[in-house]
Amino acid sequence: MSREAENALLLLVGVATAMITTGGAYTRYVKASLLPWLTVTAVIVIGLALVSIVADIRRGSAPDDDHGGHSHRGSVAWLLLVPVVVLIFVTPPALRPGAAAPKVTAVSTEVLRRPFPALPDGRAPEVSIPDVLIRAAHDTAGTLNDRLITVIGFTLAETDGVDLGRVVIICCAADAQLARIHLRGPAAAELRNYPEETWLRVEGTVTPGKADGDSTSIPTLQVQSATRIEAPANTYA
Amino acid sequence: MRTVRLPESASMPVLVAAVVACALLGSTLRAAVYDSEALSTAGTVFSGIFVQALPFLALGVVLSALIAVFVTAERLSRWLPRRPAAAVLAAAASGAALPGCECGSVPIARRLFGEGAVGAAALTFMLAAPAINPVVVVSTVVAFPGQPQMVFARVGASLITAIVMGLAWSRWGRTEWITRRLPRAIDGQASRWHTFTEAARHDFIQAASYLVIGAAAAAALHVVVPDWLMAHLAGQLLLGVLVMAVLAVVLALCSEADAFVAASLTMVPLVPRLVFLVVGPAVDVKLFAMQSGMFGRAFAIRFAPATFVVATAAATVVGVLVLGQRA
Repeated sequence: MSREAENALLLLVGVATAMITTGGAYTRYVKASLLPWLTVTAVIVIGLALVSIVADIRRGSAPDDDHGGHSHRGSVAWLLLVPVVVLIFVTPPALRPGAAAPKVTAVSTEVLRRPFPALPDGRAPEVSIPDVLIRAAHDTAGTLNDRLITVIGFTLAETDGVDLGRVVIICCAADAQLARIHLRGPAAAELRNYPEETWLRVEGTVTPGKADGDSTSIPTLQVQSATRIEAPANTYA
Repeated sequence: MRTVRLPESASMPVLVAAVVACALLGSTLRAAVYDSEALSTAGTVFSGIFVQALPFLALGVVLSALIAVFVTAERLSRWLPRRPAAAVLAAAASGAALPGCECGSVPIARRLFGEGAVGAAALTFMLAAPAINPVVVVSTVVAFPGQPQMVFARVGASLITAIVMGLAWSRWGRTEWITRRLPRAIDGQASRWHTFTEAARHDFIQAASYLVIGAAAAAALHVVVPDWLMAHLAGQLLLGVLVMAVLAVVLALCSEADAFVAASLTMVPLVPRLVFLVVGPAVDVKLFAMQSGMFGRAFAIRFAPATFVVATAAATVVGVLVLGQRA
């Protein structure tokens, strides 16, 4: 591959990074907190490509020091076309629950029981599903007890009823896992009519558990009300 | 278009044509991927691994380019202890200073690589840095609360792997396996800025291209490896160790995330999970691809399997000693 083509691909990789970062699609692949680093990366890669292109034009010809006959400049750089095409033209969707490992969540089994900070004030503060799981399993202060909370997730049909799920990623989509809670109570019965993976905002109270540090037991939410909503921009929790 | 060899001069028009074709076919490609569950999962996992690695790769090539400007092989060998064993130990300890995942440390190690003790030290650094740096240690502490022995076992087994591989290289390693040469600023008068940008450009293109192979392999394996595998590992130490070691290679998780994944595999005993944490940062499909890109295939096909065996053995022994047979 020629030097200009390599520079052009380098530029395209930088542009692809910038596009998924500014367009928000990056949250389908990595944690939202990676935003500043992706921005810096896009600037570095685009800058590197522009500097190389400008330097080659000013020089009038590419420097010889990395040809030198023995150079391994081969065709491997063509592979960079793959992420460019995938990220710019295809932009794969966020993971569906079926693709996430079917286990509870990212917390471990034997954990120090400790009191958690109280939930925010308000009638029904929003709590993420992983947070519900962690508090239900490990919270000795009982911050979930007798509190109305709001959770957001998608429906997962089960034999005994409906579960509310959320895909959790820790670093990138390669380590995705599925977090779920049971939805129960009279108000939950009609949720069975929704198709799989309907996004819901649910208000309810978590049935007090034992907080015994067993993260494999799935907590149950007694539903008071449930509203159908659009899928959030960042579908991961 | 300048007159270079024919295939090279054709590459720019071919590239333009390929990009235009993809732009025209974009919606068709997109529909094909979105319609197939396996393709969209593979596409998302590929993008996840690639995008996640990019910032670390950018940091890595900036550091490796600084090394190209300021650290010559002679200077490095003056800094390092003369005896290979001491140099390897120093390199293992300095691995703690590079926060980040494993993708960044491959280009850095390639720049640091040199004859004799310097080569062994560079490889030790490459294996140690992603496993024992502060970010990884902290995420392991968070993922395994109340189990500090897991953290000590991980750091210990990873250090042993890095040191053993460094010593093995200084004893049996042959520089002719390193078939990939780095472009050096030959003519002495090249400005530091020019040397810096050329080194960063070369290292980024080289490492990122091979990262594409590794991410694609990991994405394909993600779709293929069945979920029920884990459920059958309880109570089977040897089988568990082997499966988790292979899984670490094929899943190619970043070393900052693997502790959380290991923590969530609650039905697998602790020792196989430790093996997962020690093997993953040292050798996986994406690292193998990147090593063959930066060092050469002859190097990678010897180094990666040897690392796999050493890491698995070190983690198993340390695990049984430190963690015992507890589940």
